[in-house]
Amino acid sequence: MSQTATPALSSRRACFLLVALAPLVVAAAALPAFAGNYLIDVGLTIVTYSILGLGLNIVVGYAGLLDLGYAAFFAIGAYTTALLETLLHFSFWETLPFSFLFAGASGVVIGYPTLRLRSDYLAIVTLGFGEIVRIIATNLEITGGPNGIYGIASPGLFGYEISSPRAVYELGLAFLACVLVFAVRLGGSRLGRAWASIREDESAAEAVGVPTLRTKLLAYVMGALIGGLGGSLFAARFGAIDPTGFTYLQSVTILIIVVLGGRGSIPGVLLGAAIVAGLPEMLRFLNLWRIFGFAVALVVLMLLRPQGLWPAALRRVAPSVSDAAAIDTPAPGKARAGTGATLLEVRGMERRFGGVRAVGGISFTVTDSEILSIIGPNGAGKTTVFNCLTGVIRLTGGEVRWLGASLAFGSPHRIVHRGIARTFQGIRLFASMTAFENVLVGMDHRYKAPLVAELLALPFARTETADHMADGLRWLGFVGLRARAGERAADLPYGDQRRLEIARALVSRPRLLLLDEPAAGMNPTEKRELMGLIRRIRDSGVTILLIEHDMMLVMGVSDRIIVMDHGVVIAEGKPGEIQADRRVIDAYLGTGESDEADGGAGGERSLWDS
Amino acid sequence: MSTFFQYVVEGLTIGSFYALVALGYTMVYGIIRLINFAHGDLFMVGAFVGWTALTMLAAQHLPWALALVAAFAASMAFTGVLGIAIERLAYQPLLRAPRLSILITALGISLALENGVLLIYGAGFNTYPHLLSQAGLVLYGVRFTFAQIGIVAASFALMFALYFFVHHTFVGTAMRALAIDQDAARLMGIDVERLIQLTFLLGSMLAAAAGVMEGLYYTQINFFMGFVLGLRAFTAAVLGGIGNIPGAMAGGILIGLLEAFGAGYVSSQWTDVFVFAVLIGVLVVKPTGLFGERVVERM
Repeated sequence: MSQTATPALSSRRACFLLVALAPLVVAAAALPAFAGNYLIDVGLTIVTYSILGLGLNIVVGYAGLLDLGYAAFFAIGAYTTALLETLLHFSFWETLPFSFLFAGASGVVIGYPTLRLRSDYLAIVTLGFGEIVRIIATNLEITGGPNGIYGIASPGLFGYEISSPRAVYELGLAFLACVLVFAVRLGGSRLGRAWASIREDESAAEAVGVPTLRTKLLAYVMGALIGGLGGSLFAARFGAIDPTGFTYLQSVTILIIVVLGGRGSIPGVLLGAAIVAGLPEMLRFLNLWRIFGFAVALVVLMLLRPQGLWPAALRRVAPSVSDAAAIDTPAPGKARAGTGATLLEVRGMERRFGGVRAVGGISFTVTDSEILSIIGPNGAGKTTVFNCLTGVIRLTGGEVRWLGASLAFGSPHRIVHRGIARTFQGIRLFASMTAFENVLVGMDHRYKAPLVAELLALPFARTETADHMADGLRWLGFVGLRARAGERAADLPYGDQRRLEIARALVSRPRLLLLDEPAAGMNPTEKRELMGLIRRIRDSGVTILLIEHDMMLVMGVSDRIIVMDHGVVIAEGKPGEIQADRRVIDAYLGTGESDEADGGAGGERSLWDS
Repeated sequence: MSTFFQYVVEGLTIGSFYALVALGYTMVYGIIRLINFAHGDLFMVGAFVGWTALTMLAAQHLPWALALVAAFAASMAFTGVLGIAIERLAYQPLLRAPRLSILITALGISLALENGVLLIYGAGFNTYPHLLSQAGLVLYGVRFTFAQIGIVAASFALMFALYFFVHHTFVGTAMRALAIDQDAARLMGIDVERLIQLTFLLGSMLAAAAGVMEGLYYTQINFFMGFVLGLRAFTAAVLGGIGNIPGAMAGGILIGLLEAFGAGYVSSQWTDVFVFAVLIGVLVVKPTGLFGERVVERM
């Protein structure tokens, strides 16, 4: 129905890029026609650095991970091509798949054990990996030791030998074009969105169903593939390689290209490559002071433009007005009648933090299509219960059964995929992504088309993407945010941010939604609207488990209430029963009379009045 | 067995240099979350300033003990001020910018320092006067030179002074508070900018002291000497648990021992492979380093 949505989005982005890059592309393609060998040589260096920069940009710019050993992948590609050509007499083209294979595999090798580390540790680990690869290449016999490998044949194509500077330059340009398209498509794909969400808030991404570890690993692998390609090109260009081409300084140079140009910005990276490869050439008049001048220029440029020379535009994947009008289905999902079946069964849940027993063996059940609230004083263990249910922290005792099967506590994203979604006590949106994109991230795990199909824009993938986007819009409409779909999440007013977070949780199509203090900080009007929203969510067939301090809201919407104090359940029942329960009043609710006895108007008011 | 202990002696000496430089990395990281890539080069600058002071004073025929003290003082003062200047010019304006930007300026400063020294002193090796005698003593077949004993003792004295300062003085307490929450520290009336500068001053001075000692010990200095040492010192800081001062000391000693054993039993060509393999192994098993990081993750 909304066939136009996606193609319009991606083509608009592509259009912008095309306009921005057109003069550059023309100049680059026409270079051999008028330039001498020196200029072509500099041009080829720029092209090589652009390829490497685009590859590292996937890791650093898209996914926000640090990599100070990127030259390792470059080296692996170069050595693969060189060794296969000289030892096994492969042709250049036959070595390419192996370059990809080895570089990609090393991306997994370095990524897998280290991605759980905090980001700055990645810096030193990747740096170490880069050094290890270089030292191995320097010291092994087969890689030619410090002398490297020479006599690498030039690649041939349809009987022509690609050996003149011009021909190699054109080959490099063709590679660059492929990498460019790949990088742009990747950035706009669901994977690009997942990377952006991880960059913004990794735990929130995990909590809305993004498999963060695998997604980060994919960034390393994709970056490594491009690095390998760059290495093969490098080997073909010079016909000889040695370890000095793959030093730490090389890795740093590529990183400088990405950050100086603008992380995540494709035109920025190309500009960065042109500056980093071209500026030292232009500074030749400085003679010995050349590198010093470059270093000072680098510092000054960074101080003047901390975001990079051409910062990435805000990811404005937002539907155009006409698209929004075309999609007008009011309520998402079909309402299901509550079956009264048990959804969630908690038996003896216990969580200790050292000697503190935050949750001390509580049991409760959640039945289909009810609104169950958990209330209790601060520190009673309510949020800990949520964190246990969503797999953020592990149980130290007891069991949770979900739909009759044990909820094995894997990563939080698996639990989201099994039908339990949540919101956070403090709002955790992907602040610099649009409202629409926030929602899309939450539903991306429901994609059926493989990523390759999406990257190639195959018809069935495009149809699915269009439906996907329409669905996302409908959910935004459901919480009343359709009109603000294209706004940055951080720019939304507080109440809207809360509702956006609920929409983001809902799009994963959960059976059970956990709301952690959704009314915190809301004014009375917003609270009343929220009550309506909670009821509508339940009516659409989603069961709700609610933590809230606002008694008007809790008593107004809940079917049942559980009261916790000091990690145990002290009461359970219907709102009326809870209000009358002596223990609950003593522990939590308080009474109007005792407050007055404490000292009149200055005394703390009962929670009833809030 | 005596070769084993000979390697231990050598490892402790190199490790002292690593530890002193690692402290600078760890303090700066703890406070502003910056991997100060220029720090290894401050060590190198310290070595060169010390060399200049020593050769100038030697020309004046000063008693060598006096010349040595003056060289240490000059080197530590100059490098300390340089450290503050770098912080003011290149880092402070970017403290609120994306963290990668400041990393790139650090890399730029590192490149500028190396090439600056290259332009002033040339690319060759400069030779320190041979002040440290090879005299020493032999215990159970293990040889200690007095120079080695002096270097290890001086390094440990500096490290314990720093530890005492950070953990048992008023200003040190403020520094630790700053490392935990900069905004809260500011609200409590702590002069955050001054303290950051103090951190750079202390780190740079320790690096300069290590630089002069390394110059005296190996007698050969070069504009590129800060790179390899800086890399290993940073590794030491991470290995010990970044932000953790005793951890950085222990990490430095550990890397020194690793280097000595690796060079002794296998080959010095593979040193960095051992160092980084151990680092990666440790981080995979214990992601916060051997002694636990002292860094609060800002949410």
